[in-house]
Amino acid sequence: MKIFRNPDVMWREEDEYKSRAYEGLEKGEDVEKIGTSVLYLNGMMLSLNILGTEIWKRCEGSMLDEIVSELAGIFDVEPIVLKKDAEAFIAELKEKGYVRYG
Amino acid sequence: MSDMDDFLPGAPLTINWAVTNKCNFKCSHCYSRNDPSDELDINVLFKCIEGVAKAGVLSINFGGGEPLLRKDLMEIAKFSSQNSMRVSMNSNGFLIDSGKAAELKDSGFSKVGISIDSHMPDKHDNFRGIKGSYERAVKAISCLSEAGIETSISTVICKINHNDVDALIEFAIKNKVKNLNFHNFKCSGLGYSNKDKLDLTAEEWRDFYLHALKAKHKTEDIDISLDDPVIALLGANKNDSMVKGSICGKLSLNIKSNGDITPCGFIPMVIGSIIKDDLKDLWINSPVLERMRKKTPKGKCVTCDHYTECLGGCTARAIALTGDMNNPDPHCWRHES
Ligand code: SF4
Ligand code: SF4
Repeated sequence: MKIFRNPDVMWREEDEYKSRAYEGLEKGEDVEKIGTSVLYLNGMMLSLNILGTEIWKRCEGSMLDEIVSELAGIFDVEPIVLKKDAEAFIAELKEKGYVRYG
Repeated sequence: MSDMDDFLPGAPLTINWAVTNKCNFKCSHCYSRNDPSDELDINVLFKCIEGVAKAGVLSINFGGGEPLLRKDLMEIAKFSSQNSMRVSMNSNGFLIDSGKAAELKDSGFSKVGISIDSHMPDKHDNFRGIKGSYERAVKAISCLSEAGIETSISTVICKINHNDVDALIEFAIKNKVKNLNFHNFKCSGLGYSNKDKLDLTAEEWRDFYLHALKAKHKTEDIDISLDDPVIALLGANKNDSMVKGSICGKLSLNIKSNGDITPCGFIPMVIGSIIKDDLKDLWINSPVLERMRKKTPKGKCVTCDHYTECLGGCTARAIALTGDMNNPDPHCWRHES
């Protein structure tokens, strides 16, 4: 199943938060609560952390496994855990109307 | 994904931009057509739009006045969409026929909201002060849809329509719009002068929202939005957004026809100028915005269980009617026990 961003969603990366998050990541800090991008749909804002942002950027027709294997090269997380997290995250985006399956 | 600590985006996500205050209508609740501010010249506007895009703003919603009374609106819109921003507009629809709708499409408009206050032609025409405005507004919606532009209906809730929720929804569905936006009555500009005639009592607001929320949950054919933070009192989240309370100053800003920046179109507090100031710097450092983002509960809000969701309700209304943004929204019907 391919995953596509809803074209109605407007979004941008938040450069300052992003550099703060990557610096933190290098130092081994917990950066889970730093929003590095914002999504905007129907007057609603959603902020994604570093992992969420990297998943979101890849929702351009990729399959879950493809996304996970790319991310495994960036984040130092067990592939099984990564897959579980990514799956749950994408399901939540789907429920909120931010992505579609194709 | 939504529990970021105190997340404030680095710049507004969207801007409401009143490109003119001129209007061909005479609405009794209007907050802008009597505003004597100047209009910016197109070249100054282009520079400002470039700056806004550079700051990272994602969309501009043009308003006014009636934006179509600016002869160069299409150029302004085209320039904005060329600068990678999504462009939309609120209009009374009077000047939109199929030719104009096609021009709007070519200029990059992806969405147009048409103001319609009643499903009954005479009621709408009387409220808007122009005979035939209902018919033209309805026609505008179909022309826009045919041109491939997404449409919505914006309805300001007040004495003339608060009992017509079901009929308004049926009307919106019949006209195939994507969204129906019920706006709360703001008491700014002429809305303030005419508030005794038009605004609802707190109890009437409660009854309206009870009905509207029920209708929203049963209706699948159309998205209905209720932009009022006070609905937290009925256990409803304004939406799924991370932003609680009023959105102005947290997601969006308003730019007046002369370039003055205010937190929203209904709050007459100028925080800077799009011509002279750096937008990102203002966004982060404006003391007014800071106060709006960190409101301190007063009065009955202090003991309210819904404060974290509602944040004292609509800031514009609290300012207009009490002079203090921290006071409870006068539309709130909660009684302290
Ligand atoms: S409310 Fe809008 S349409 Fe009505 S007079 Fe004011 S600017 Fe014109
Ligand atoms: S008392 Fe204040 S916080 Fe509670 S619902 Fe009313 S306005 Fe909102």
